[in-house]
Amino acid sequence: MSAIDELAAELAKLPGVGRKTALRLTYHLLKQPPETSRRLAAALERLVERVRRCSVCANLTEEDPCAICGDPRRDRGILCVVEEASDISAIERTGEFHGIYHVLGGRLSPLDGIGPEDLGVQQLVDRVTAGGVREVILATNPSLEGEATALYVQRQVGPHVAVVSRIARGIPVGGDLEYADGVTIAQAISARREM
Amino acid sequence: MPLVATDAIVLHAFDYSESSRILRLATREAGVQSVLARGARRAKSRFGTALDLFAQGTAQLYLKEGRDLQTLAGFDVLHARPALGADLGRFAAASALAELVLRFGTVNEAHPALFDALAHALDHLATAEPAQASEAGLAGAWHLVAQLGFAPSLGACSICHADVRADGPLPFSHVAGGVLCAGCARTHPGGRTLPSAAREAIATWSGAGRVHGLDAREARAHQRLLREFLQEHLADGRLLRAFEAWEHGGWSAP
Repeated sequence: MSAIDELAAELAKLPGVGRKTALRLTYHLLKQPPETSRRLAAALERLVERVRRCSVCANLTEEDPCAICGDPRRDRGILCVVEEASDISAIERTGEFHGIYHVLGGRLSPLDGIGPEDLGVQQLVDRVTAGGVREVILATNPSLEGEATALYVQRQVGPHVAVVSRIARGIPVGGDLEYADGVTIAQAISARREM
Repeated sequence: MPLVATDAIVLHAFDYSESSRILRLATREAGVQSVLARGARRAKSRFGTALDLFAQGTAQLYLKEGRDLQTLAGFDVLHARPALGADLGRFAAASALAELVLRFGTVNEAHPALFDALAHALDHLATAEPAQASEAGLAGAWHLVAQLGFAPSLGACSICHADVRADGPLPFSHVAGGVLCAGCARTHPGGRTLPSAAREAIATWSGAGRVHGLDAREARAHQRLLREFLQEHLADGRLLRAFEAWEHGGWSAP
């Protein structure tokens, strides 16, 4: 296999990259100064060497424990459960949450062969039963799979913690009721709050 | 490229690139279709929550012959089924029904009866009490199997076609596709023994009926029989992952 085909084959394994795109990226790199490709290769090398899962929350990190778990200013009584490490970045960008996290590493999906044993639920139960957690916030995606996952996690941690809550769902900020679909409006109405 | 509007149910969805999703749909007019929903993951996507699993509505598809991945132009949701995610038993059973249609439904070929059977099965499952979810799932699955043309032979020997007695247990052969008479059972050993109540249940489910009073042990035995039957007749040796999860997945947490 030629070097071009080899790189294209590797790139085509990435999500969202087909064979044509992989070849386009390969030829793009070949048109750049060699230093560009070397920097990319070095960055990939460093990524593999340095990034690992936090042994506490399963976030992706270069330090163990991760910056959030190691931050003494975070409220360790509130634990937010997310599907993927990338969800942490989305929540952190809001600046509204000051607790700690737990990454499940996916969501229940029987069609993809992902069952409860494939998620980090037992580690979560261990963390909660170790004490100190007042509330677990279930921030899995508001999809059917995310709901089923939240329900499963709630059943597992519920007996060990005072409060298990679920993130709210409804009309997005800046959205327009007229254009929202019926399911979203129904959920927004059922999850309404008193003013 | 023709734009086709058809009734559709979302059976499987996974993320693609930064903001899009690939969906696998059961459609009334065009069988099973894989479609790209561009921008579907954005908060203000034109698809809204329509693209959640098991939602039913009218899909507008750009269909191009010879292409594996079609384009979804729109999806007007008429009937979401959030209740299927509110109980783990229902969710696992619905996933098994989806797997059945995804694996064995025809691509690009209309099968209205299969589509209606799926919609009916999902509706039934969505309203089933959690304790009845397994029975509702079995009912839906056997009805789908019947619509696919693979219903097992239960009233006559599946090898020699001789009538078999209606009462008492009978040998059931996955390979032969149904029950066996005493003579054929001697020449075709293996398989399982089905009590008359189990045969009646499968016949009832295959005809879109319901069976009451099925306990958890019987439901598990039926789930195993169904999975073995599907694997023998339809699965090409590939695992039925959702069926495995439904049967063994430990979905019923304390």
